Amino acid sequence: MEVEISRRKFLQGTVAMSIVGSAALSTNLLSNNHDSHGSSAKPGVVSFHNTKTGSDKGHDVATLCEMCVNKCAALARVENGVITKLNPNPMFPKSKNMLCARGNAGIQALYDPDRLKYPMIRIGEKGEGKFKRVTWDEAYNAILNGTDKFPGLSTILEEEEDNRSSMLFCAGEGMAEHTFKQFYQAFGSANWLNHASICLQTVASGYGVTLGSYPQADLENAEYIIMAGANRAEAIVTPDTMDLFKRTKGRGAKMICVDPRFTNTAAKSDKWLAIKPGTDLAFVLALTYVTLTEELQNNEYIEAHFNDYEKYKNSIIENKYTPEWAEPITGIKAEDIYTIAREFAAAAPKAVYYPGRRSTFAKNDFQLRRAMAIFQALHGAIDTKGGLIFGSKLKLKPHEGLQPLYEKAQARAVIKSTDKEGHQGYDDCAVVSGGGSWIGWRNRFLEDKMPYKVRGMFCYKHNPMMNMPNTQKTAEMLRKMDLVVTIDTMPSDTVMYADVVLPECTYLERTDPVKTFGGVEPSIAVRNKVIDPMFESKPVMEILKGLTTKISKPLFEISKKFDEEIQDMIDEDGEEETYTEFNLTLPFLHTQEELNHHVVSGYPGAAEKLHHDGVFYPNQDTYYKQLAANQFQYYPENKKSYSTRGGKPKTPSGKVECLIGSFASKGIDPMPVWRDEYEFSVPKGKFKLLTGRHAQFTQSGSSNNAMLRDLMPENFVWINKRVAAEKGIKFADMIEVSSSIGSTRLKAYPTEKIAPDQVFFIHGFGEESEALTWAYKNGGNDNAIIEDTIEPVYGAAAMHETNVSIKKV
Amino acid sequence: MALRELVNKIVPIKEDFSIKSLLGFKKTPLNVLVSFMIVGLILLLVWGIAQYLMHGHHAYNVSREHPWGLLISGYIFFVGTSTGLCIIASLGHVFGIKEFNHIGKRTTLLAIITLLPGFIIILSEIGHPVTMMIYNILTPGITSAIWWMGTLYGLVLTFIILEFGFALRGDHKWAVRFGIGGLIADVAAFTTLGSVFAYLVARPIANGPFIPLYFLLTAVVAGAFFMFMIYGFKHKLNFPKEVEVTLIKLAKILGLLLVVTMFFEWWRMITAIYGGMPERADTMMKIVGSSSFWIEMLFAWAIPFVIILVSKGKAIKALFFAAIPALISIFLMRNDMVHYAQMAPMQMLKKTEYQLAPTWIEYFPSPVEWAIAVGALGVCFLLYYVAEKAFDLDEDEHH
Amino acid sequence: MARYGMALDYKNCINCKACETACKEENGILMGADKHRIWVGTGEIEGEYPLLDLTSNVFHPSQCQHCDDAPCEEVCPTQATYTDENGIVRVNIDQCILCSYCMNACPYDARYVDDRTMTVDKCNFCAETRLARGETTTACQATCPTKVRIFGDLDDPNSEISEVLRTREHYSLKAHLGTKPKLFYLT
Ligand SMILES: Nc1nc2c(c(=O)[nH]1)N[C@H]1C(S)=C(S)[C@@H](COP(=O)(O)OP(=O)(O)OC[C@H]3O[C@@H](n4cnc5c(=O)[nH]c(N)nc54)[C@H](O)[C@@H]3O)O[C@H]1N2
Ligand SMILES: Nc1nc2c(c(=O)[nH]1)N[C@H]1C(S)=C(S)[C@@H](COP(=O)(O)OP(=O)(O)OC[C@H]3O[C@@H](n4cnc5c(=O)[nH]c(N)nc54)[C@H](O)[C@@H]3O)O[C@H]1N2
Ligand code: SF4
Ligand code: SF4
Ligand code: SF4
Ligand code: SF4
Ligand code: SF4
Ligand SMILES: [Mo]
Repeated sequence: MEVEISRRKFLQGTVAMSIVGSAALSTNLLSNNHDSHGSSAKPGVVSFHNTKTGSDKGHDVATLCEMCVNKCAALARVENGVITKLNPNPMFPKSKNMLCARGNAGIQALYDPDRLKYPMIRIGEKGEGKFKRVTWDEAYNAILNGTDKFPGLSTILEEEEDNRSSMLFCAGEGMAEHTFKQFYQAFGSANWLNHASICLQTVASGYGVTLGSYPQADLENAEYIIMAGANRAEAIVTPDTMDLFKRTKGRGAKMICVDPRFTNTAAKSDKWLAIKPGTDLAFVLALTYVTLTEELQNNEYIEAHFNDYEKYKNSIIENKYTPEWAEPITGIKAEDIYTIAREFAAAAPKAVYYPGRRSTFAKNDFQLRRAMAIFQALHGAIDTKGGLIFGSKLKLKPHEGLQPLYEKAQARAVIKSTDKEGHQGYDDCAVVSGGGSWIGWRNRFLEDKMPYKVRGMFCYKHNPMMNMPNTQKTAEMLRKMDLVVTIDTMPSDTVMYADVVLPECTYLERTDPVKTFGGVEPSIAVRNKVIDPMFESKPVMEILKGLTTKISKPLFEISKKFDEEIQDMIDEDGEEETYTEFNLTLPFLHTQEELNHHVVSGYPGAAEKLHHDGVFYPNQDTYYKQLAANQFQYYPENKKSYSTRGGKPKTPSGKVECLIGSFASKGIDPMPVWRDEYEFSVPKGKFKLLTGRHAQFTQSGSSNNAMLRDLMPENFVWINKRVAAEKGIKFADMIEVSSSIGSTRLKAYPTEKIAPDQVFFIHGFGEESEALTWAYKNGGNDNAIIEDTIEPVYGAAAMHETNVSIKKV
Repeated sequence: MALRELVNKIVPIKEDFSIKSLLGFKKTPLNVLVSFMIVGLILLLVWGIAQYLMHGHHAYNVSREHPWGLLISGYIFFVGTSTGLCIIASLGHVFGIKEFNHIGKRTTLLAIITLLPGFIIILSEIGHPVTMMIYNILTPGITSAIWWMGTLYGLVLTFIILEFGFALRGDHKWAVRFGIGGLIADVAAFTTLGSVFAYLVARPIANGPFIPLYFLLTAVVAGAFFMFMIYGFKHKLNFPKEVEVTLIKLAKILGLLLVVTMFFEWWRMITAIYGGMPERADTMMKIVGSSSFWIEMLFAWAIPFVIILVSKGKAIKALFFAAIPALISIFLMRNDMVHYAQMAPMQMLKKTEYQLAPTWIEYFPSPVEWAIAVGALGVCFLLYYVAEKAFDLDEDEHH
Repeated sequence: MARYGMALDYKNCINCKACETACKEENGILMGADKHRIWVGTGEIEGEYPLLDLTSNVFHPSQCQHCDDAPCEEVCPTQATYTDENGIVRVNIDQCILCSYCMNACPYDARYVDDRTMTVDKCNFCAETRLARGETTTACQATCPTKVRIFGDLDDPNSEISEVLRTREHYSLKAHLGTKPKLFYLT
C-alpha cells in the first residue's frame, strides 16, 4: 500500500469545509479509525468525541506529562485499553498535583488522527510531503543505502571518507533526548545542536559564568519578586507557576512585572512596568546603582563571596547608571526604580529577581543575565530560603554509553576567526556551547562556510522549520541536505522535508529514562508506559536499536577502509574485539525498564515505587502527606534544601564573578555595561515584533491538538487599539505582517495591552504541513518574519530585533 | 360512502362536499394565486419539518445564549390569535353581546384553525415531542409554566373542538357549555404562556405581571384583526348588513383595546427606563431604539387606532386593509418580545481570549425556522378553505 | 447524604483553562465554542497603554452554581432537571424534551445543548464520573495549577469548605435573585 500525504489542492473552500474534508482525508490516508475519537457530528464543524470516563474504579498508570518541558506527574486512567483521562499525580513535588490545559489534552495528542503511524520514505520532491509507507526494515535500509531519490549513510560516509561529522544531530528537549544523544555519541559526529540557543542559552550561561549555575527561584517563600521578561501565568514552569500565583495579590509575595506586554502575569502583579523591549539591562544597572549608592547591599555576603566587587561598583558609579539615566532608555520612571531597589533590599534575602527562561530577546541578553545575577547576589539572596537557590539532587547510578573515537571524524563545524580588533573567537559567536548555535550553524551551512561537508541530519523531537527565525533559510538548509531523517510523532513542517520519517510513539506509549529532579524538594520520577504503541510507532529506544542493528556493521566496514587507527586496532586485537568498541547497538541492547532499574538500584525499593507511583525520594512514606484538598507535604520544613552551600556560588572560584577577564580577548565586555547601540528604536510606521507563549499551547508542538484548538482556534496579532483605529483595523480583520525576510497573515486583536510601536503574536501557529488537519495554515507563523539576528556571545537567536510593518488585507 | 355517513352522524357535512368539490373553485386570478400560495406555504412547511427531522435543532439559529427563536414566537402568534378569536367567539353566547351571536361558529372554527399551526410549530421546536407526551404525564413539573401551558392548551383544543362540533350539530346548550370551558382554559393557557416569560427572574425585562396581561390584551387585538381579514376576504368587502354591524362593534372594542394596550405599554416603558436598573432600563432603551418597535407601534397600534378614532369605528373596509400589515406587525411583535427577553447576555465577560466582549445577543432566524413559522400559515388557510366547503358556518339564529 | 458546594479562591486564577479541558476530558463533553460546563471570564482591560488599571483585569472562573433554589429546576416541565441526594442540580437526559426553558431561566448561562443527545447539559460536579466512583474531588478542582477550587460537603461542619466559608469572606453571583448558589467566591 502506498501512503501519500498529498497536496490537497481541492480543499480551497471555506475553512470549515476544508476542515471536514481534510479530516476525512487524513482519516483515510493515515487511517486512524478510532471510533470514539474521530467523528464529526455537525456538518462543517469538526468535533472529536472525547470519551467520558466510566464509573468503575478503573486502572491508573503513573506517568509524566510531555506536552511541554516541565514533566508534570500524571496518572493515566485506562479503560478497555483506551486512555480516558489524565489526572494530576499528587506525589510529585515539582508539579504539586496539577496538570495544565495541555497536560489534560495529552490524550488528543495520543489519538490525533494525523499522527505519524508508519515509517515512510520520500517519493516526491523534497518538502513536497509525498511519502511512501514502508516497513521498518525498508526504512532502515533506505537510511543506510538510500533510494533513487536520496543517498544513504553508506554513500555519504564513503564519499566523505568516514567523516562522521558529515551528519548533523539535533534534538528538542525531552526525557528521551538522552537516548538519542547516545546514538549521536556512538555514531561519532561532532555536530550536535539542541534547543538551547533558541531557548535559554543566554540565561543559563549568564548565570552559569556568574554564579556557577542556573539557579531556581524559591517563589514559595520569596516576599518580593521582580518578574522581568518571564510570563509565568502563560509560559508555565513548574513549580514556579503554582508557587507564585497562590501568593500574589496581597498574600505574601509582592510582584513587580516587567514586560512590554500586559500579560496574564502582569494582571496578577502589584505593579506592571511596561519596559521598552531590549532595555532591561539599563533597568538592572540602574537598580544596581541605587543599591550601591544607597548602601543597600549585603556587605557580609559580598565580603565572603564576591570577586571584583569594587571594580563592578566603580563601573556602575562612574558610568552614572542613575535611575534618571535609565528612565528615557527603558521608559520606566526613575522614582519607580528607586522604590523597587529599596523594596527589594528591604525584603532581601527573601527577594528574587527572577532569572527567566526563553531569554534571548535582544543582542545584549547575555550581559543582562549577568547583571541580574550580580544584582541578586549583592543582596546575599543566593542559596537562601526565599531567594535564588541551588537545591539538592538525588544521584542516579550512571550507565555505560558508547563514545568511540573515529580518526576521520572532524571537530565540530565551527570556524575560528579574528576580528578587526584582534579578538579571537568564532565566526558567528564568541563562545561555542554544548548545544551550539543553531542559526549560526544553519547560516554557515547555507553560505558554504563549513570547514567540511555536512550532508545530512538526524532530527529528533524537534521542529527547526517552526522554531528558528527565518523559516525560509531553514527550508533551504533542509532542501540542501542530502539525507534528512526525522523521528517525530506528528507530520510537522520539518517532517515534510524528511527523506526518511520514523514514527515515534507518543509519551503515553513508552517508558522513558528515569530522571532526577533537583530543587528544594528533590525527587526522582519516571514516565511509565501507559498503553502499547499504536500503529507501527515505537519508542526512540527501539527505533535506534533497529537502526543501529542495520547500520552498525556496514558503517564499520567503511571506517575500516578509511580509519588507520581502526586498521591498527584490528591488526592488534583482531576484528571482533575491535568491533565491540564500534558496535553502535550497544547502548540500545537493554530495555528502558532494565536501564531504569539499574540507575535507581542504589535506592532500595525505588524501582518498585517508581513503577507504581511514578515518583520516589528517600523517606517519602513518612514525609509525604495530604494536608488539605489542595495541599500536600513532600518534605517537612526542616528537611527542605533551601540552603545547601552556605550561600557559596558554584563557580570554580566559589565566588560571584563580577568580571570575567578572559572575555576581553574575545571582544566581550568583561563586566555588564550599557552601550548606545542597545537603545530601543523603531522607524516610524514600523513595529517591533515580540513573540512568546500562550498557556494553552506549547511552541509548535500542540497546534494540531483538537482539544486545545477548541480553547483558542488560532493566534491573533496584538495591535495597540489606538493605532488600529487610526489604520482602520477592526477586530478579526486579516492583517499581513511583513519584515525584511517575509510575511505572514493572521487576524487582528486591537488591545491596549501592547505599546503603539510594537506588535505581538503567539509563537507556534501557521504551519505549512498539509498533513496537519487543524494546524495547516492556521494563523500566523512568527518565524517566517523574524530575522535571524545572532546574539554575539553564544550565538543564540535574538528574537525581538525585528521591525515589521502591518497592512490590512 | 360509509365514512361520510359516519361523520355526518357526528357533525353535519354540507351535501355538496367532496374531494372534487375542493378543487372546484372558480379559477379567478386571485383564487389561483391564493391556491398557489397555500400549496407553496405547505411545501415550505413540509421542507422545514423535513430539515428539522434530519438535523434537529442544528437547522435553527438558536444558540446557548438565545435558545428561543422564531418558532417560539410563531407559536405565540398562532395560539395568541386563537385565544383572541375564542374570546371574540364567546362575546355573543357567553357575554351576551348579541351582535356577535351569528359569528360564533365561524369564529370558533377560526380559533381551531389558528391553534393547530401553533401546535405544529411548537412540536418542531420541542426537541423530543414524544418524550414530552410521556413525561408530561409521568413526571409532571407542576412548578413549570410550560407544563401548565401545555396541559391547558390540550384542554383548550378539546373544548373548542367540542364546542364547534356541538354548534355544528345545533346543540346550542352544549356548545355554550364547552364554549365557556374553552374560554376559561384559553385565557388561562395564553396568560400562562405569558407567565413562561414573566416568571424569569433572570430576565428583568420580562419578569413581572406585564407580559401575561399584555398577552391577553394583544390576543384579542390579534383576533380582531384576523376577523377583519377573514371577513373582508369572504365578502370581498361587500359586507352584508348584519356582518357590518358586528364588525363596527368589533372595531369599537378593538379601539378600546388598542388604547388600553398602548397605555400599558407606555407605563411599562417608563417604569423600565426610570431608575436605570441594569438589564432592564438598557434593554428597554435598546427596544425603543429599534426599528421593529416603531413598525409595530405604527402598524399594529397607531394606524388602526387612528382609523377607528376618526371613523368612529365605521371604516371597516379601511380596517380590512389595515388588518394585514397589523397582523404582520403583531407577528414581528411576538418575535421581538421573545428576542427582547433574551437580548441581554447573562454573561458579560469574554470566555475566550480572542473575541469581542459580549454585547447584545443577536439572533436572526434560519431559513428552516422561517419555513416552519411562515409555512404553518398554509395549514391555517387550507383548513379554513376545507372547513368552509365542508361545514355550514353561518349561524342559524333559530336554534 | 452530602450537600456539595465549591469555594473558589478566584484571585488565584491565571486563566490557564486547565479546568475547562479537564472537565471536557473527564465528562466527555463535545468540542465546540458553546459546549462547555465551565469557563473563565475576562473583562477588557481599562486604561491606555502603559497606564492600565491593574484592578480592572479579572479572571473569573465559573460554572453551574448548583442553586439551592434553582430556577432551571423550577421551570422544567418534565422534572428532567432535579436536585439529587447530594444537593447537585442534575439533568436526567431521558426526561429532557429540549424545550430550552431552563436555558432561559438560568441566570448564569450555565446550560447548553449536547448535540449528541440533543438534551440540555451542564456541570454536575462530576456526579456521573468521579463522584460515581466514590472520588471526592472534581476534575476541575484536582487539575487546577494554582488551586482555585475547594469542593466539599457544606453540611459537614468539619469539611474544608465549611471551614473556609466560616473563616473567609465570600460572595455569590447575582445573590439578589434568590437562587442561593452553592458556588462561593472567596475574597
Ligand atoms: N519565534 C519563536 N521561536 C521560538 C520560540 C518563540 O517563543 N518564538 N521559542 C523557542 C523555544 S523557548 C524553544 S524551547 C524552541 C522549541 O522548539 P522545538 O524543540 O522544535 O519544540 P516544538 O516546537 O514544540 O516541536 C517539537 C516537535 O517534537 C515533536 N514531538 C512531540 N512529542 C514527541 C515525542 O514524544 N517524540 C518525538 N520523536 N517527537 C515528538 C512534535 O511533533 C514537534 O514536531 O522553540 C524556540 N523557537
Ligand atoms: N504554556 C506554555 N508553557 C510553556 C511553554 C509553552 O510553549 N507553553 N514553553 C516552555 C518553554 S520551552 C520555555 S523556554 C518557557 C518560556 O518561558 P518565558 O520565557 O516566560 O516565556 P515567553 O512567553 O517566551 O516570555 C517572554 C516574555 O517576555 C516578554 N518580553 C519580550 N521582550 C522583552 C524585553 O525586552 N524585556 C522584558 N522584560 N520582557 C520582554 C514577552 O512579552 C513575554 O511575555 O516556557 C515553558 N512553558
Ligand atoms: S506544564 Fe502542562 S504541559 Fe507542561 S508538563 Fe506540566 S502538565 Fe504537561
Ligand atoms: S485551572 Fe484554575 S487557574 Fe486555570 S483557569 Fe481554571 S480556575 Fe483558573
Ligand atoms: S446555575 Fe443555572 S443551571 Fe445551575 S442550578 Fe442555578 S439555575 Fe440551574
Ligand atoms: S430543556 Fe430539558 S431540562 Fe431544560 S427545562 Fe426543558 S425538559 Fe427540562
Ligand atoms: S465539577 Fe466536574 S462537571 Fe463541573 S465543571 Fe468541574 S469538572 Fe466539570
Ligand atoms: Mo524553551
